[in-house]
Amino acid sequence: MSKKHATGTTQFDLGFYDRMAALLEKWKHLGEIPVDQIPSREVIDEITRLLYLEARLLDQHRLREWLALFSADGAYWIPADVDYRDPRHTIAWEFNDRRRMEERVERLETGQAYSQIPPTRTVHLLSNIEVMLAEDDTLHALCNFHIQTHRGHDTQSRCGWCGYVLRKENGHWKIMLKRVNLFDADLPQGNLSFTL
Amino acid sequence: MTTPSHPASAAAAGGINSLSDTDRTRNPNSESSTLQSYQHLFRPGFVHRRLYVDEQIFHDELRYLYGRTWLYIAHESELPQPNDFITRRVGGRPLIITRSAEGKIHALFNRCTHRAAIVCREPRGNAKGFICGYHAWTFNNEGHCTSVPLRQGYGKTFTLASTNLQHVARLDSYRGFIFASYSADVPSLSEHLGAAARLIDQWLDRGEKEPVVVRSGSMPFLVHANWKTIYDNAGDGYHPPFSHESMLKMFARRYGDVDMNYYGSDFDKSPMYSKNLGNGHTFLDQRPEMHKLSAWKRQHVMPGYEAMEKALIERFGETRALAMLDTATGSGMNLNIFPNLLIIGNQIQMPEPLAANKTQLTWFATTREGAPEEINAIRMRMQEDFPSFGEVDDSANFEACQEGMAYVPEMEWIDIRRHHDTEVGTPDPADHLWREPMSSDLHMRTYWQRWQELMNAGATQALKARGESS
Ligand code: FES
Ligand SMILES: [Fe+2]
Repeated sequence: MSKKHATGTTQFDLGFYDRMAALLEKWKHLGEIPVDQIPSREVIDEITRLLYLEARLLDQHRLREWLALFSADGAYWIPADVDYRDPRHTIAWEFNDRRRMEERVERLETGQAYSQIPPTRTVHLLSNIEVMLAEDDTLHALCNFHIQTHRGHDTQSRCGWCGYVLRKENGHWKIMLKRVNLFDADLPQGNLSFTL
Repeated sequence: MTTPSHPASAAAAGGINSLSDTDRTRNPNSESSTLQSYQHLFRPGFVHRRLYVDEQIFHDELRYLYGRTWLYIAHESELPQPNDFITRRVGGRPLIITRSAEGKIHALFNRCTHRAAIVCREPRGNAKGFICGYHAWTFNNEGHCTSVPLRQGYGKTFTLASTNLQHVARLDSYRGFIFASYSADVPSLSEHLGAAARLIDQWLDRGEKEPVVVRSGSMPFLVHANWKTIYDNAGDGYHPPFSHESMLKMFARRYGDVDMNYYGSDFDKSPMYSKNLGNGHTFLDQRPEMHKLSAWKRQHVMPGYEAMEKALIERFGETRALAMLDTATGSGMNLNIFPNLLIIGNQIQMPEPLAANKTQLTWFATTREGAPEEINAIRMRMQEDFPSFGEVDDSANFEACQEGMAYVPEMEWIDIRRHHDTEVGTPDPADHLWREPMSSDLHMRTYWQRWQELMNAGATQALKARGESS
């Protein structure tokens, strides 16, 4: 079944889930960011620009370019709970490895994904951006988001906060993880088939 | 003509499967007819759009249908500890479902006996009782009123027992699935489930039979469509290759002949089938294709596919590991227990009617108690798969249907006649239940018949009650 193996994709093995559990524990109890974990002004600027670029690509439905912002082992996660529950035994709206992210984009590209015909219009607004140094040369970035959406007859806003894990590869920051925390993730959701 | 064991074709007067001149000529748009009968809203192979859009019919359904049959309300594993409770709306009614200190399950209307306030306003928790936020009337988790402030103001004859929270009329469970009825006048739960019980058994008793646990969160979808627009789809074996073309195409392109690819040709010739279980319940069986060989091996990948397979094979050996993964993959069963329990894959769905054009469809995720962590992680990622790549398109189609039904009064009828006249249906040799090819609308014809039985009986009873009181 070699066709099933994709190189470089996140393993999603038990070790990965342990790392996710540790990350959730850290974000859940985060207070003031310790001074020695605040990166340089330049790094904060770089990350801020990356987040703004991501927002623009999403609003313009440039999903292939959006994908390229992620590392080969990147993941995209939209929990369906607001309690930082362990994903090993908790369902999420999305918990995609890189391969699944590619499947997501490819499905939309067939032109037959009826939930995105017409596509959801979005405007991503970001605020409260905070960046901190983390272990293994990675950075964590947190921001609040407000996404104004429109599809069909329905104008809606979605909001919450995003947690990112980022790593520098060949001089460019890449997203290893994007966790989209809808403030109402555990409550009834309408069409979530666009990319948040 | 079909055999008598084909309940959905039994020529109930005015049913979907028979036609009389009065049905043809009666004006389906006359509101005053609602209370007497709904028969004019049915024609053989067609149902009227008003059944999906009319506010009055929606309110009638909450009373005559949801008020007069067994409803799935929760799974016992949602209340693992003594004094656990959950609150939830079922068939419109807000409920508190509790497990008492002794371990007994209770279902109470979450409505204060004083001035009707919702008593418990938390979604879940652990509590010996509940204090109403308005005037602090207090109830224990068996519904007994334990305290009323300034009680002397109610006079000498007042008793706390007269203000207990109201229990549902009937409560019973089948292998962990808890059902309630708001009317005492219903057959036993086992009579109601009938042939569906055996299929619940088959769903539960797969693989290593670890108990199913419903504590892994849920995906509650808000759909701007009538609950029946959604219910129709639960047994619609016709739509998968078309509604889900984007998903099937993408998976086929990437991974070749993987799951659901069997919808690629004339799938009515496949051994999959649609079945009438009686009492409005239906069953779509994809197992003859999906579990023909190894469901896991035929499965398209999900996050963790290779890593977890490897870990499990190392721990348990290939044969046992693959058997466990087969069970984690999905049941290949769509078991629809009318009107609000849909068992699909490894998930449990509850459609909850909110308005004539609004429904909450909650997909509850399930794990298996004591199964290896790898298996439950695979189950989670697998159970995210279809909602994310398939259900979203289904929802878009439900909303599109609802819009068409609501806004084009010139076109009144909804088509449910697939395989009604092809005479290819046949009793299942094993259990004599009626089955038709996968793409049949048998599911719709079956539940609509039950819908009419309940609604007509409810309306008749209401009319009688009205006559007696006037
Ligand atoms: S309404 Fe509950 S105590 Fe008054
Ligand atoms: Fe579907």
